Amino acid sequence: MTAIRNSWIITQRDLLHWVRQPALPIFGVVFNIMILLMFAFLFGGAIEVPGADRGSYIAFLLPGMFALTMLFGLESTMAAMSDDAQKGVTDRFRSMPIGASAVVGGRAGADVLYSALSLAVLIVGGLLIGWRVESDLLSALAAVALLLWLRFALLWVGIFLGLFVRGAGATSAVQVLVWPLGFISNVFVAPETMPAWLAPIADWNPISATATAARQLFGNPTGVTQNWFSENSITLAIVGPLVITLIFLPLSAIAYRRLKR
Amino acid sequence: MTTIALPTRSHVIADAVTMLNRNLLHVIRYPGLSLFTILGPVVVLLLTVFVFGGTLGAGLPGVDPAGGRDAYLAYVMPGILMITIAGTAAGAAITVAMDMTEGITARFRTMAISRASVLAGHVLGNTIQAIIAVALVLGVGLLIGFRPTASPIDWLAALGVLALISFAVSWIGVAMGMQAKTVETASNLPLILTILPLLGSGFVPTASMPGGLQWFAEYQPFTPFIESVRGLLLGTDLGSSVLFAVGWAVLLTIAGYVWSMVLYERRSVR
Repeated sequence: MTAIRNSWIITQRDLLHWVRQPALPIFGVVFNIMILLMFAFLFGGAIEVPGADRGSYIAFLLPGMFALTMLFGLESTMAAMSDDAQKGVTDRFRSMPIGASAVVGGRAGADVLYSALSLAVLIVGGLLIGWRVESDLLSALAAVALLLWLRFALLWVGIFLGLFVRGAGATSAVQVLVWPLGFISNVFVAPETMPAWLAPIADWNPISATATAARQLFGNPTGVTQNWFSENSITLAIVGPLVITLIFLPLSAIAYRRLKR
Repeated sequence: MTTIALPTRSHVIADAVTMLNRNLLHVIRYPGLSLFTILGPVVVLLLTVFVFGGTLGAGLPGVDPAGGRDAYLAYVMPGILMITIAGTAAGAAITVAMDMTEGITARFRTMAISRASVLAGHVLGNTIQAIIAVALVLGVGLLIGFRPTASPIDWLAALGVLALISFAVSWIGVAMGMQAKTVETASNLPLILTILPLLGSGFVPTASMPGGLQWFAEYQPFTPFIESVRGLLLGTDLGSSVLFAVGWAVLLTIAGYVWSMVLYERRSVR
């Protein structure tokens, strides 16, 4: 019980940071909306979704954009964690009678709440530009849950990298990971339109699994002709983030314990 | 009473060459920024061609969907070259802002050198950098299958147009660097220049865009820049795009020159 209370205190502290310095979270949301508008209106008219009507690109794009937003959140997690570690805040927490789980758990709590808010803003933005949920409420909520589950898994990657890679190169290091991972997926286009050597990478990308699962659950076009990945997308969207969590949660704990005092 | 001799034309040129040498030395000694201005467009090129190329290429007018990627590579290359030029202008803005904030420009003002030559050195250095960057990005394009159909005269004309665009955009970059109060701001301001090729005919035909955006895309300077390079390298219909490209380049050069000179007089003493 104490661990949960401590985690909540750290979560409040992290949320207060954003309230007092709102530029970063606002920029994050605005940036995602800019990418959405760019692809929807700039490229959208020139992109055809395989197996769907002409003009259905917005319906295809939005669930992919939701998944991409979950990935982009990794940058803010890493930046915040790296900043705390560099300024000695993490060391101060370690000297206090609170568990390591409370510190990283608090960060996780704050980031999931922020991601839920970002997702809500993006969903409203999508509805405003013509995207519609074509399924029932339960399926739509399941899609949102899968998206936040992906974010939760990627949190631990961000926390680990934030504790592991520090200094000026931290942000550029995570961008090298995030951008190719985001684009070499089925977020913007169907993998079958990619070269033969690139399509399997996009198919196996965990972002793709969540994007396809979200498309199916929202009742939107998946842009995929029936294949193993589309048939098992919901399973992959559960298992993929679980594997990421099982790898990076222990690594984050080790990195936290090994921080130089 | 002492009289101060005004710099003659030969002095202005000599001073500009000295400043150009200084800027080129900077590039050699600190290659990181130059490397980034080349790597950025190369990554964009590879991503757009291999990730989006198949889909966007199939949507191009009169293209067989089977050869969509090759057609898209040919289509997107001029847009990528414009992003390269815009990226080097961002580099110019950063170096000018560094000179301004570190007080070097204020020191230059106390010396018996032409005012215009300080800025001209930045612009000429940046134009040379832009042409080298364009050549390297073009080389990557050729490696992945870009096949221009241009004759030697068309190549020369394309090079001339690219040099003129680089020169014009460099003046805007320098002015933005003068305008910025910090180096961070100077790195963000020229993002507008990088976005303009996206909001033109660089990546998708303007006809596929919605009304308001289509109107903007057709009348902004980067669309004639892109269309003239595309026409010269690939033999597409040039129309009056070269005329508009030259016109826009001259306008941007004048605007950038006036803007930066006004700021130089007003803000170089900090």
